[in-house]
Amino acid sequence: MKKFLGAAVAAGLAFAAQSAQAQVKVGALYPFSGGLALLGDESFRGLELAVEERNAAGGLKGQKIEIVKGDAVDPNQAVGEARRLTSVDKVPVIFGSYASSISLAATQVAELAGIPYFEMGAISDPITERGYKYVFRSNPTAKDFANKMVDSVLDILGPALGADGKSLKVAIIHEDSLYGQTVAGFQTARAKEKGVNVVDTLPYSAKSVDLTPLILRLKSAGVDVVLQTSYQNDTVLFFRQMKEQGLKLKAIVGAGGGYSLADTMKAIGAENMEGALDVDFTQYKTNPAGAPGINEFVAKYKAKYGTEPRSGHSLANYMGANVFFDVMTKSKNLTGDAIREEIAKVDIPQGKTPTGWGVKFNAKGQNERASPYFMQWQKGELVTVHPPEAAVAKMKVGVGSN
Amino acid sequence: MDVTAQLILNGIMLGSMYAIIAVGLTLIFGIVRVVNFAHGEFLMVGMYAVYLFNKQMGLHPYVSALPVVVLLFLLGALIQRFIIQKLLNADEHIQIFATVGLSTALINLALILFGADLYSVNAPAARQPVPLGSFNVLSGHIVIFCAALALVAGLHMFMQRTALGRAIRATAQNRYAAQLMGVKVERIYIISFGLGAACVGLAAALIMPLYPVSPTIGTYFVLTAFVVVVLGGMRSMYGAFFGALIIGIVDSLSGYYIAPDLKEVVYFAIFILILIFKPTGLFGFGRGTE
Repeated sequence: MKKFLGAAVAAGLAFAAQSAQAQVKVGALYPFSGGLALLGDESFRGLELAVEERNAAGGLKGQKIEIVKGDAVDPNQAVGEARRLTSVDKVPVIFGSYASSISLAATQVAELAGIPYFEMGAISDPITERGYKYVFRSNPTAKDFANKMVDSVLDILGPALGADGKSLKVAIIHEDSLYGQTVAGFQTARAKEKGVNVVDTLPYSAKSVDLTPLILRLKSAGVDVVLQTSYQNDTVLFFRQMKEQGLKLKAIVGAGGGYSLADTMKAIGAENMEGALDVDFTQYKTNPAGAPGINEFVAKYKAKYGTEPRSGHSLANYMGANVFFDVMTKSKNLTGDAIREEIAKVDIPQGKTPTGWGVKFNAKGQNERASPYFMQWQKGELVTVHPPEAAVAKMKVGVGSN
Repeated sequence: MDVTAQLILNGIMLGSMYAIIAVGLTLIFGIVRVVNFAHGEFLMVGMYAVYLFNKQMGLHPYVSALPVVVLLFLLGALIQRFIIQKLLNADEHIQIFATVGLSTALINLALILFGADLYSVNAPAARQPVPLGSFNVLSGHIVIFCAALALVAGLHMFMQRTALGRAIRATAQNRYAAQLMGVKVERIYIISFGLGAACVGLAAALIMPLYPVSPTIGTYFVLTAFVVVVLGGMRSMYGAFFGALIIGIVDSLSGYYIAPDLKEVVYFAIFILILIFKPTGLFGFGRGTE
């Protein structure tokens, strides 16, 4: 029976919608176990809330949406689970995936099967740059993060510090796995293009237990601004040792990752994290005028899960899921080509979604109006300080208690 | 010049942290002749224990060193008794696989119990910079340095002056001869593995104020500890101690003068060179000098 319905849905038989039993399955591919599970699950909650909301409002063209989960711990398992979803469960579309490595692997399977893959969280640029027809991404990419960080030196930090942005001595530091290398590569290119004065670029291992050599190097180079791309442990270590070694910076900007997590702030201490800037997906201390629906999302989240959202990932997935469900509703059927046709028509200006992002997909399937926000740690809270329409607090200068 | 001196000082402090871990690893390798790949995970277990003692009972990490050392001794002894002992006459590869398997199991157990989040204890006194002339050292690092010295001195006394210590040295030198002399070799192995793990327990209590714990924290320290053990001559705890200080200084200097991401390259290059040219270790302590 289920198989028949799946086939029926895929064929887009609208009359099935009349039946109370009718349902449309959607695949949800995230890391639900293993080391990435925490934020994988957090991402999934955004999708889950969007689905519940749709079902409460009558479902998708009258059909109940049913989520079929796929647990992708690593790229290998991502391939296996994507195969299961496409060939055994026969889902017409897949949502995912939080981690770039998982998305890169799973999208290959979906593309071959001709099934639309909706990416709502992974930031690696190549996901939408391999010429795939049915991979669509609602969130900003690593390049957007890097550009925003470099541009902030000229547009935001310079004016705030009362100095010419180009005169500030900037250092790029990053953990040396694919994530850090990618963002730092884009940063270096952007800095050259914009004339930002990068005095040093220092990669380090995220498993480092001592960053004092790096910190002493920043100190002897007289660096004003640090742009850091990091995970959690290394962020904690850097901030602790920065204080211990007496490094005084005018500003530090993180690329999401370890910077956005409340646990990082707790481990470092609110007073030491004070003033640290962070470029990331939209977080919750954001002005609803620039992100309509954000407070309603938080209320729904708390009602269902009993806690505050653990990170902005759920919001980004919620926003993305709604965009894609709208597309699925308007599309004449759920085949890859019909979805692709409908995706091209989406046109939402900035500031009209719960993340504040606009939506306009390019030919590669990438949303070109998504851009990360500029946040700052103030008194133990991560508050949005830029752009002005989404800001809830004024930006301060200086870092920590040094 | 000032920077160089500060770097060397930082390196010695870092090295003393490796020293405590490496001495434990050396004890297990030198006496039981098992390469313990789960050593880093013992550290992780110890750190979670310190965290729990701190959170549930409000013990300062340094105070919890005592129960955690005992706990880790028991953990090590049990693992020796019920896992390694059974494989003692098996192929070396099998012993290695057993410890690698144990390591993976412990990491995933921690993931299930604690998740991938970081946990840290609040012990600001251990993170105070202490001025030393024109340089700065962390109070927590001074404690670690002193503890490393005391550990090596204590173990030296134990190995040289007590009957049990002599039995352990005899077993390390020749398992079969020791058995013939009436030493209960299996018991010695259990005690030695326990001692090795207990060293990590001490390290866990001292490191916890400086580093937050996560399931993979062990892997951060243990690879370096292996280099240290080889540098020190595999079976000598004095070698391990000085080897650790050297690696600490190399780590610190190469991170500054070469590049932070290339410091591993530098000390793994040292590791390979030692294996090729001086497999008995830098100090020639080598086989049978324990």
